[in-house]
Parts: sequence; C-alpha cells; structure tokens
Amino acid sequence: MRANVRAYADATRFRPKVRSVDHDGGQRYTAREGFGAEVAYVWCPKSVNHPRFFVHSLPFGLAMKSKGLFRELAKIAGDDGVLWRQEDLMLYEYDALSSLRQPDVVVFPRTTEHVVQIAKSAWRHDLPLVARGAGTGLSGGSVATEGGILLVFSRMKQILEIDLENQRARVQPGVVNLDLSLAVADEGYYYAPDPSSQKACTIGGNVAENSGGPHTLAYGVTTNHVLALEVVLPDGDVIHTGARHWDRPGYDLTGVFVGSEGTLGIVTEATVRLTRKAEAVKTLLAIYNQVVDATRTVAAITARGITPAALEMMDGFTLRAVEEATHAGYPMDCAAVLLIEVEGLREAVEEHADDIEAVCRENNAREVRRAKSAEERDLLWKGRKTAFGALGRISPNYYVQDGVIPRTRLPEMLDFIGSIEKKYDLHIGNIFHAGDGNLHPLIMYDERNRQQTACVVKAAKEIILRCVEMGGSITGEHGVGLEKSDLMPLIFSDDDLELMSRIKNLFNPLGRLNPGKLLPTGKMCGELRGGLAGGSPV
Amino acid sequence: MTVAIDSVRAELAALVGPSHVLTDPAARTALAVDGRVPDCAVSPATAEQVAAVLRCASEHRLALIPRGNGTKLSMGNPPRRYDVALSLRELNRVIHYEPADLTISVEAGMTFGDFQVLVGRNGLWLPLDPRGGTESSIGGIIAANAAGPLRQGFGGPRDMVLGLKIATTEGKVVKTGGRVVKNVAGYDLGKLLTGSFGTLGVIVEASLKLFPKPLERATFTMRAGTLGNARDLRRSVLRSPLDPLRLVLLDSPATALLGDSAGAQDAAGVELWIELGGSHRVIERCAFELKQLASAAGAQLARLEAAEGAWERVSNLAHWLQPKYRDLTIVKAALPVAASEEFLSRAQQEAQAERIALASFAQVGVGIVHLCALQETVTDDVRVWVIHLRQAAADLGGTLIVEHCPARLKSVVDVWGAGGDDLGAMRKMKSTWDPNEVLAPGRYLGGI
Repeated sequence: MRANVRAYADATRFRPKVRSVDHDGGQRYTAREGFGAEVAYVWCPKSVNHPRFFVHSLPFGLAMKSKGLFRELAKIAGDDGVLWRQEDLMLYEYDALSSLRQPDVVVFPRTTEHVVQIAKSAWRHDLPLVARGAGTGLSGGSVATEGGILLVFSRMKQILEIDLENQRARVQPGVVNLDLSLAVADEGYYYAPDPSSQKACTIGGNVAENSGGPHTLAYGVTTNHVLALEVVLPDGDVIHTGARHWDRPGYDLTGVFVGSEGTLGIVTEATVRLTRKAEAVKTLLAIYNQVVDATRTVAAITARGITPAALEMMDGFTLRAVEEATHAGYPMDCAAVLLIEVEGLREAVEEHADDIEAVCRENNAREVRRAKSAEERDLLWKGRKTAFGALGRISPNYYVQDGVIPRTRLPEMLDFIGSIEKKYDLHIGNIFHAGDGNLHPLIMYDERNRQQTACVVKAAKEIILRCVEMGGSITGEHGVGLEKSDLMPLIFSDDDLELMSRIKNLFNPLGRLNPGKLLPTGKMCGELRGGLAGGSPV
Repeated sequence: MTVAIDSVRAELAALVGPSHVLTDPAARTALAVDGRVPDCAVSPATAEQVAAVLRCASEHRLALIPRGNGTKLSMGNPPRRYDVALSLRELNRVIHYEPADLTISVEAGMTFGDFQVLVGRNGLWLPLDPRGGTESSIGGIIAANAAGPLRQGFGGPRDMVLGLKIATTEGKVVKTGGRVVKNVAGYDLGKLLTGSFGTLGVIVEASLKLFPKPLERATFTMRAGTLGNARDLRRSVLRSPLDPLRLVLLDSPATALLGDSAGAQDAAGVELWIELGGSHRVIERCAFELKQLASAAGAQLARLEAAEGAWERVSNLAHWLQPKYRDLTIVKAALPVAASEEFLSRAQQEAQAERIALASFAQVGVGIVHLCALQETVTDDVRVWVIHLRQAAADLGGTLIVEHCPARLKSVVDVWGAGGDDLGAMRKMKSTWDPNEVLAPGRYLGGI
C-alpha cells in the first residue's frame, strides 16, 4: 500500500499552501492536515522552464510510523548512526549534480551486518534504499529521488587487507580512492583508476559508477580493477561474486554489478587490483595556437603505435581560468594544450616522449615542454584535476557533459561544439580525456538568466546527440544516474532496455533500490531531468 | 526432441535456407559434443537468422549448442540434451574498422587467424593467445573468455570487449556496450556474456579494443632447477621494472616435450620462460635486467630464438598434446599468484602417488596452472587425482576445472567444481535469459 502526496494531490486537486522557498526556487508546501506526509515538496527551480512535481513521497501513514522506523534504524546503527532532522537531511539532498531531494532518513552502517539489517528494514517498510559514498557523482546517482533510506558509507572506510605479492587489496566501500593509493605508495604500488575527485570519492561509489579518470587510457576503468565483491541484495541476502584470482568458474556477476549504479545490490566489500608503479614517467605539455592542431595530434599519437598513460586536452578558455586558480605555469595566450604522460621502462619512456614530441611538432605545436621534476608534474596535474573548480570561479553555474566519440572524430566534434557556442551565445570550456575521446564540455551559465539556462539545456542535448551520431556514447565515466536515464533510448533499443530492466528485476524486483536511476522511467517531465549542475564538484 | 525431427528440420530450413541445414550422419557426427550427436546442424548467415533459429528452438524446447570452430567445446560438462548444432562460421564479416581509433567490430564467426591478419596490416593486434589459436573464432574466444599466457601483459578478452550484439532465445538481437573505448551507459552485459560459454545468449557481433603490436619481442629462458628457485625468480621478475608479456613456468617433462620441437635447453628441472616486448633498446635493457636477476639466483639464462612455435604449443596444449596421448586430461587451477608454486609441488606429489605422468605449464604471474596428465588410457586414478587437486586448490584459495578430458571421465567428475553463494543468482540469470533451457543445457557450472 503506497500513496503519496502527489497521487493524493492529483486525485483530489488539493493545492497545498507554500510553506517556504528553497534557495534554488524549490517550494515547500504543507500538506493537508491529517494526511500521511508532513511536507509536500514541489521542485520548481528557476533554472527550468516548467515546474517539476517532486513530491515528498513518504508512504501513506509513514509519518505516524516514522518514529518507530528511526528507532529501528538506531537500534541497528546506533543512536549516532541515524539522521532524520530536516536540517541534517538537507546535507544529503544533492550530490555533484544538484538535484534536490531529501531522503527520509540517513543511516551510517559500520558493518555488512548493519547493511543487511537496514536492507531488511527497508524491505519490510517498502521504502526506497539508496547507497551513497562521498556524494561526488556527477549524474545524480546518489540522490534519493523518491526519499526513503539513504545509506552513507563514511563509517565503513577500512582497508581490510593489503596483499602485495598478489597485488590485491580488500576494502570497505567507504575507503577514499586516493587513501588506498597512499596506503601502498611506499611499497611502490597504487590503485590505478583516478577520477578527478579521487581525494574525496570512495571505492564504493567508483564501483557503482564504474568511474574513469585521466589514466584509464592505458590502465582501464574501475571494472578492469575490481576482482570480487560482497553484495547485499535488497532482501538482505549477501552474496560474494568473483574471486581474488582469475577465472573463477561461473558468470561474471562482478562485471554486472560494477557500473550498475546501486540499482542491483549494495556493495559492502570490494577486492581490487593494485598496480605496480612504473619505473619512469614523463609528462609533456604541448601548446597550440589552433584547437584543431591539438585534436589532430591525438589520433596521430595512437596511429604512431604509442599508448600514453594519459592524454588530456584543455582549451585556452579553460586554461586561463585554471592558471588563475592554480598558477601551474600554463600559457595564458594559447588556443589549446595537450597534457600527455608516458610511463614504463626508462628507455621506453624516453623513446615515446621523443616520438610524441615529434608528432606534436608535425601537428604545429608551438612548444612542447617536459616536466622537469615531480613537483612540476604534480602542479600540471593539479591544474587538470581542479579545473572544474577553477571554472566555478568565473561562472555562477556550469553544466558538465560527459559524451564519448571515436577519437578520430575529435577535430570535427570540437568544431561542432564551437558552432553550438555561437548558436546559443554561450561559453563552453573543453577539458577532457582526449586520448579516449571522452568529452567534458563545460557550459557556463547563470541560472538567474532563464533564457540562457534554457539554451544550456538545448546546447547540451545537441552535443550529446552529435556524440551518438558519431557512433559514441552518452556517458564515458559519469554514469547515467538521474541525469541521463531518459537519454538511454538514444543508444539502446526497446529490446535492449527491456532486457536490462529484466536484469534489474532479477536482483531488485520491487524497484526500491536506488529508484529512478539508469533506466528510463518515462514518468518524469523535463528535457534533462535532474536539472543542471551548479557549484563545483570536488 | 519433442517434435518430429523432419518438421523441425523443415522449419529451420525455411529460416536459414535448405543449404544451411546439415542432416547427413557423417557431418552430424563430426559435431558431436562429449559423444552426443546432434540431430542437425544449422549455419545461419545473419544475426537475425541466428535469432530466428533460437526462437524456433525455444518454441520447440530444443537444445542447441552454439559453436565457432569447436576448438574449446571439450570444456564443460556433457550436455543434458543436444538437438541442434548452431554454427556461426558464416557470420564472418567486418562491420566497422577504424585503425586510428584502435577499435573494430566484427561478426562472431570470424576466425582469430583472419582477424589478426586483417588488423596486423595496420601494425595492430588483439593481444591474446587463446586455446584454439588461429582456428578459434572471435565469438568462441569471448564466450570462453579464453586467454593464454599473454594475459600476463594484456589481461583477457574481458578487458578487450567494448560491446556485443547478442541473439537471445526470445528471437531478438540485443546490444550491450558500444564501439567506443570508454562507455558506462547501462548494465555491462558484455561482461556477463564473456565467459558464459554460450549458455545465456549467442554472441553474433563483437566490438573490440585493439593494441599496437610491440616493435620486437624476445623470449628468454631461465633455468631455475627447483620450484623454490622458480618462486624466488618469479617474485624478483614481478618486483623488477620489467613488464613481461608472458611469464610461464615449465617443469622438466614440459620442457622435454617442447624440446622435441622448439630446440629448448635440455630438460633439467624447472624453467621460467619470459617474453618481453618493445624497441631494440628496450629489449636490450630487459635482457640486462634478466641477467642480473638470473645471476643473483644462480640460474642459467638463455635467449630462445624463433620462440613463436613453442608459445603456440604452450597456449594450445590440448591441440598439441591430444594426438600424442589419446586420453589426455588437462586441469586448470586458478590461484592467488603467490600460491602457484606451492600448488605445483602438491600436484606433483599427488601425481606421483597416483602414478600419473605429468607435464606442468604454469602462468605464474597470473596464477593460472595447467597440469597435463599424459595418459593413453584414463583410469580411476585420474578421478582421485582431480579430487585431491581440487581440494589443494581450494586450500590455497583457488579453484580448479577440468579443461580437457575424455568424455567418460566427465561422468564421474564435475568439470567445474562447486559454485559459491552466488550460484543462486547465476541460476536466476540463466532462467532470465533462457527460460526454456535451450542453450547448451547442463554444460556450465552447477548444471546450468
């Protein structure tokens, strides 16, 4: 038995009074006295043309029962392991895609057994259950779109085991990505997937989103580094997939859970591969007066038979913002730079660096610099990894796209993005993983300018459509989440999606695990559901 | 078969054309799996035809085993039922190929040999040396997640598949993943199908990541003598800056077997074979490093010329050794890397106890150990040996499968071993994809 305010409002044409207005223009309404929910919430941000009717979906009567639920959860996770007051919940109503929706209650489990008990509790009460790491996700994957219980893993952050001879680590989901690398750095190892948010984001979140990063060009994304998982299913069953060794017989369920965005199960432990640090590394900065020369260089490098460890591009506009923020020594007057890194045996690195420099010059690079020290290298990377934040300094809002195209189409695509910029009179920064054709156009806007905001939505959609036309994908590493579930039909047929939803039903039959993510729901309005990103992700 | 054979044959002929349905006894016998002969064989020419054949099989509750070139069909339990052999050999077109993107999409029936020749023209390769070698089909390699010793340097098919097209028992052709090298849209069903041994759906097309070929490759042999020395050498190689493409430990019988054909050193204890790749200068540096490691361990180092033939044998053991030993049995243990040598030593003791002639080929850098029981006639000893070995692998935190053996051994040994607490989820997965148990019923783990 579920009813919510919206259904009630639709049925009765009841129009509650505005109680408060949120900073984004979302309006809170008080529901009718005697109705099951305490608060109705209509999200009507200024940044979107038509209002969206997100209603606080406390199941009918839950308000009465909720104290009982909180007590139940507190019994599992401890009194200090549960948050339910409005002011506390507000901190958990968004991730790095600012779509606002509060969970009904936040729980901080400490053990797998806690997660099992919480899952059972959610199952009994028929409540949505959403897992969250550090909330750095860019596609809204950890927003509790239908309320319910939000599981936050910040208290499950133990590295359980480090086994260097087998190059494995077993970790809890709340372990911060970079902390794992730091824990094994002295021994000469690291954890290879390196999203830009690696100082904050967690392994659990990386597993859910199958996160990438600059160095995935040579080393692969998260799924190539996860070997085994412990997963709690929505009914509280615990299964162990994969193995710390290769080739365990049976279906590769680990591969299915990685990137399933918390819609199939909740990961409570992961066994991951540790990578040995290369003997030598060289970081090059190639500077261009024309964007097209930089993009042409990308395919020319791979055509030369070289796979750099990383191959990143930043355009002049982005670069100037980054330089002002980080003082990394980037040139202020160029059209684009490529940040290229090669790793391996000393001799191989020298040869590759020379070859790459030659390719860059053949493609009209004005200058090719090499980082002379580890400090110089770190500074160049700091600039790259904090670029989104730097752009936050110059624009009140921005929207990050995450499209993929075949890398040979980069010159054409960058031209296209330029034409979109002109067409809608917007500023678009380009800073992205050029080596794998993974674009991140950053569209600047001011949400107070409604007309401009509407253009952002259109521009973003045109860019993603072009990616699809070029044989690419709607997301390379940020995930589908809340943001792009409605775009899934652009690349998948009804049959494809139907099969995926059957897989989802197999593990998550009631759809209470992270509802509204990954697969199109067809229920919500808005062109780009979940709205537009604002602020700066870590 | 629940319906008259003739009417099913006619229905299949209507779907794929009469010349694509084989019914004569000799042809069918050649397609037997574990001694079971199918009632007919179909060779569809398009993905849609494959899907139509699957739907037809599903409607009539027929059992069907998909095959490329059949190089890995000795893996798996005997089929519970087997009515139709589904050959994918006619699906061998290139769908999309852009060398500069390092990606390619091909149909599943293309042979690995043709594939490598095609991409080799652009200095590229798919860095795999699967069982079945050049005869394997791309679809078969993926369905079996077949990786050989090159896994050391490049990982397995799982890491190279970008997207798949799959024919389902519902009669649809569905897609997962895509053509680009980075893509996280939707569930990664490509991972699920990779290594599913044709029990969920039929792979009809694959998009793959390609790699530039190393400029040069060189193989070195290190004579370790004992397993203990080999373990120390393995550790020092893996801790060195070297990045081997292949790293294999061979015991005396294994080197002796290879010695006949490869001109390897005389069989004298355990050897480590190491292949390295790169420019001439890089290989010289590698040779220098290896020399240091070898002399520190007191092991003799030699460079093996024209090693490719030997590597082909090592990665295709069943094909190489089957003609010599009629009842050849090969088991594969997958272990934590650190346990490889310990397992080998236990296996040798067990083999001695059961008086089994044994040759061992161990990919010690990735924890994959192949033990070949060189038998003319299989005896009950082999069954006991397998049971003991499986226990030894489990004790060391690994698993063990029987990769190749005479069909009659399969009636007394489960080739896959027991599943874990995720077997229930795997069964549900199977019934979601294949509710009527059309695809290779009974061949996979837990009788899936």
